[in-house]
Amino acid sequence: MEKEINIRRIAKLARLHVEEDEIERFERDMGAVVSMVEKLPDFEDNRIPLDEKDAMPFREDEVKPSMERARVLQNAPKTEAGCIVVPKIVE
Amino acid sequence: MELYEYSALELQKLLKAKKCSATELTQSVFARIDTVEPKLEAYITLTKDNALKQAAKIDDKFSKGENAGALAGIPIGIKDNICTDGVLTTCGSKILYNFVPPYDATVIEKLKAAGAVFTGKLNMDEFAMGSSCENSYYKKTHNPHDILRVPGGSSGGSAAAVAAGEAVLALGSDTGGSIRQPAALCGVVGLKPTYSTVSRYGLVAFASSLDQIGSFGRTVGDAALLYDAIKGYDSLDATSAAREYFNIADKLDGNVKGLKIGIPAEYFGEGVDSEIKLMVLKAAKELENLGAQLINISLPSTDYALSAYYIIACAEASSNLARFDGVKYGYRAENYENLVDMYERSRSEGFGTEVKRRIMLGTFVLSSGYYDAYYKKAKLTQNRIAAEFTAAFKECDIILTPTSPVTAFKIGDRFDDPLAMYAADICTVPVNIAGLPAVSLPCGKLSGLPVGMQLIGSKFSEQTILNAGFAYERSCGEYGNVAKI
Amino acid sequence: MMDYEIVVGLEVHAELSTQSKIYCSCKNEFGAQVNTRCCPICTGLPGTLPTLNKKVVESAARMGFALNCSINRICKQDRKNYFYPDLPKAYQISQFDVPLCEYGFVDVLFNGSEKRIGITRIHIEEDAGKLLHGDSFSGSLVDFNRCGVPLIEIVSEPDMRSAAEAKAYLDTIKSILECLDISDCKMQEGSIRCDVNVSVRPMGSKVLGTRCEMKNVNSFNGASHAIECEAKRQIEIIENGGVIVQETRRWDDDKGMSFTMRSKEDAQDYRYFPEPDLRTIVLEEEYLKLLAASIPELPNKKRIRYMNEFGLSEFDAGLLTENLDKANFFEECTAKGLVQPKNLANWLTGDVTRSLNEKNISLNASNLTPAKIVRLVELIEKGIISNTAGKTVLEEIFATGGEPEDIVREKALSQVSDTAELEAIVKKVLLDNQKSVADYRSGKSNAAGFLVGQCMRASAGKANPQMIRELLIRLLEE
Repeated sequence: MEKEINIRRIAKLARLHVEEDEIERFERDMGAVVSMVEKLPDFEDNRIPLDEKDAMPFREDEVKPSMERARVLQNAPKTEAGCIVVPKIVE
Repeated sequence: MELYEYSALELQKLLKAKKCSATELTQSVFARIDTVEPKLEAYITLTKDNALKQAAKIDDKFSKGENAGALAGIPIGIKDNICTDGVLTTCGSKILYNFVPPYDATVIEKLKAAGAVFTGKLNMDEFAMGSSCENSYYKKTHNPHDILRVPGGSSGGSAAAVAAGEAVLALGSDTGGSIRQPAALCGVVGLKPTYSTVSRYGLVAFASSLDQIGSFGRTVGDAALLYDAIKGYDSLDATSAAREYFNIADKLDGNVKGLKIGIPAEYFGEGVDSEIKLMVLKAAKELENLGAQLINISLPSTDYALSAYYIIACAEASSNLARFDGVKYGYRAENYENLVDMYERSRSEGFGTEVKRRIMLGTFVLSSGYYDAYYKKAKLTQNRIAAEFTAAFKECDIILTPTSPVTAFKIGDRFDDPLAMYAADICTVPVNIAGLPAVSLPCGKLSGLPVGMQLIGSKFSEQTILNAGFAYERSCGEYGNVAKI
Repeated sequence: MMDYEIVVGLEVHAELSTQSKIYCSCKNEFGAQVNTRCCPICTGLPGTLPTLNKKVVESAARMGFALNCSINRICKQDRKNYFYPDLPKAYQISQFDVPLCEYGFVDVLFNGSEKRIGITRIHIEEDAGKLLHGDSFSGSLVDFNRCGVPLIEIVSEPDMRSAAEAKAYLDTIKSILECLDISDCKMQEGSIRCDVNVSVRPMGSKVLGTRCEMKNVNSFNGASHAIECEAKRQIEIIENGGVIVQETRRWDDDKGMSFTMRSKEDAQDYRYFPEPDLRTIVLEEEYLKLLAASIPELPNKKRIRYMNEFGLSEFDAGLLTENLDKANFFEECTAKGLVQPKNLANWLTGDVTRSLNEKNISLNASNLTPAKIVRLVELIEKGIISNTAGKTVLEEIFATGGEPEDIVREKALSQVSDTAELEAIVKKVLLDNQKSVADYRSGKSNAAGFLVGQCMRASAGKANPQMIRELLIRLLEE
């Protein structure tokens, strides 16, 4: 099992900023936890079965009133024209 | 005895007999809070005004002879990862420092309907990640039995508040032991119900397949009473079990004759403090004296549980916490150059170290190339652990173990050592992995520090484990008193 | 110069026209004011959980049956994790390795014959919100109304070999979605979108070339255009000795070209894993049987049948099967067996459609009934009225709902078809137009047309023109 963990790549995926001096610490901490994985047993059949008995009941296709916009957006850091504002995105 | 010292069951009788009013009871609890909170710091937010308003409404109903609900007038604290409409809900994190939910969790709606009085929102390890309450952005809660020590976590505030009389009952959440371990360290009763029996709608998710909301009380009966009020099918939670639910609190009779109690060797090994082992085994003997039968069993996959747990929990958490991105709610960094910068700064400045560590770990185990080796393997291990429990429950009715391998450690002792912190969970984690119900109840003290024993049941057997706990408590427990601070 | 073959695969996303969203009960509605069709669940507030809409599964399964797929009656949903402001949970609930439907096909009518296009899979997922951009805004604005609108994604095999084929496929998929009443397919509202995968290879080669994916294709014509441009771009690179880089490109319809969006190195790692907040999707066999039985004759099949059964052209059959009402109306007419289907088809696709469009009403809302149009066509076929008179009768039916015969009588529209009467007219015209007769006999056949015109004038337009022409030619030839 590969022991090398690319902290920078993971941080990017997770949208976390990691300082240079944190990288080594993260490598160490995560490396220690990842070694715990060595303890897991091996399995012959690698497929996770779907449990037919655990069937989920569906929701009926019925409309219920939406929440008033002011309440939906009440925690937004920045709003404008009834929307949430984020830095300008160039698509 | 002060009003805040009574158990919920006792208070129900006092209220019914009009020996006290809901308002008096609420005032008594808040007076207690005023006295001890500076030392304990169990609460993030106190809701005294609302509580008194709720109490007044209850008293009004009482005076009119109306049915005020199963928990009418009982002051209850709520762990701060359970959404409360109009009341700050921080999850112990900076990233939700100003988050006021516009809706109530299902359990809150149920408690409101039951007439409960809410005292406030209780401190916790950030996003329920931790075993000491030291990972809270806001404050460190102190153990009422020794304020230099941790109350346990992540529901440290809930356990401490109930132990200290700052609430009669409290809600907590348990993903890997977050109700049971603090219950053990604080000398109170903590119940983690069977996965799917209490709605998760409104519980800020940590690990969706493991999280459960559960109850704290100073007595087994109290924990049962609160569980009764929050359990049940919820159509808003697709993982909720649609089945018949029966009340338990009124059915506890303490009869354990013929009850087969499994003692698993793996939980009494090196990792657990020897004095704790002795104390817990002594408690088992007590149950044997009451008519139960002790059986030695083995759960060989116990060793894998911690690894499987951290992989599954962190993987799910990394996804569940991705929504905290500074866009729609919560903390948004002040300075950023573009969108990605905003994401990275908001999340890095808003999350604490332990949370970041787990998000990184979770992201890693799910990332391409590693999914099969880690996440999939952990899920297969999970199935195996669950199967082992199922097989064990063919030989016994309940399983008895220590809850925590140590008593409350000193604040700051384990903070920088994640593996040492994770080791605190070895007795509790397997239960979440298998989705089983388990209760921790006090079974003694070591050097003045509480010790808890854990009773694990098969799925949906809350009544069996609570009844066994009740039997023990009735026979030995004077541990349910409010701690002297 | 080598001949190249274009290989095209398409991914179509269609919004389902359910009442509520896929994971919450907010109204599934286009065009509402920003952020007014939202709730804690579809805006990803902490603590909220999804619940799966039954109609979504039903619609997806029905589409699966229509496209001859095998249905995975036991399946699940997965989380697709990525960060973007229009994705509130920072993950999209979709299906990864066990889609609801797989291994299907659809027969597309193209250039007069049917071509079978493979369907790799159909799966269900949720739509994201919308970003609004504008110079007057202080940033980009996020509207969550569209979050949680149910989508099915239909992925085709790379079986198409030209832009035109791709367009025919898209039209077919759209017609099926509309026929099943699953999606309203309004491209301008974004309820149907497609991503295009294009690669090229030397003609005859069995190996697939490197493909590029193109996003932001906003219309079926745009898809066509994008395919042609992309094929050209790739061929040019190859001809110049270059290598195609596998990438995702963004199509710009206005500019008529595409731009690199992200390369394979930047490829998103979506970290798919099973959605823990939803349990196993299980469809009972009995239920699936009911759904399969609910699939009507599909437009592409109906079209072929009309061509074979009624001798219609591909074009006319296409027009008639465009919508179910028109097709049903047509079949009610032909069932009576009184007139030529071809003539009925001409009237329905021609004057009837034109008139309905002008009046902005639907066929069913109009005064025209199958019985009436059949009678009208019958009158023409029997020569009782001319085609031109028929148009007048049609308008009158639309206006008053009257019976064709009554209208013909009231407006004295019947044409003269009595041979003796017509002969008299022809003979008179021939007498009065000796020069034209001479022209015709000396080889100028156009003169006949002139003479027919004169006969029509002489009869004040009531003569049966075909009969006039026949009589005229006969008498001229004598």
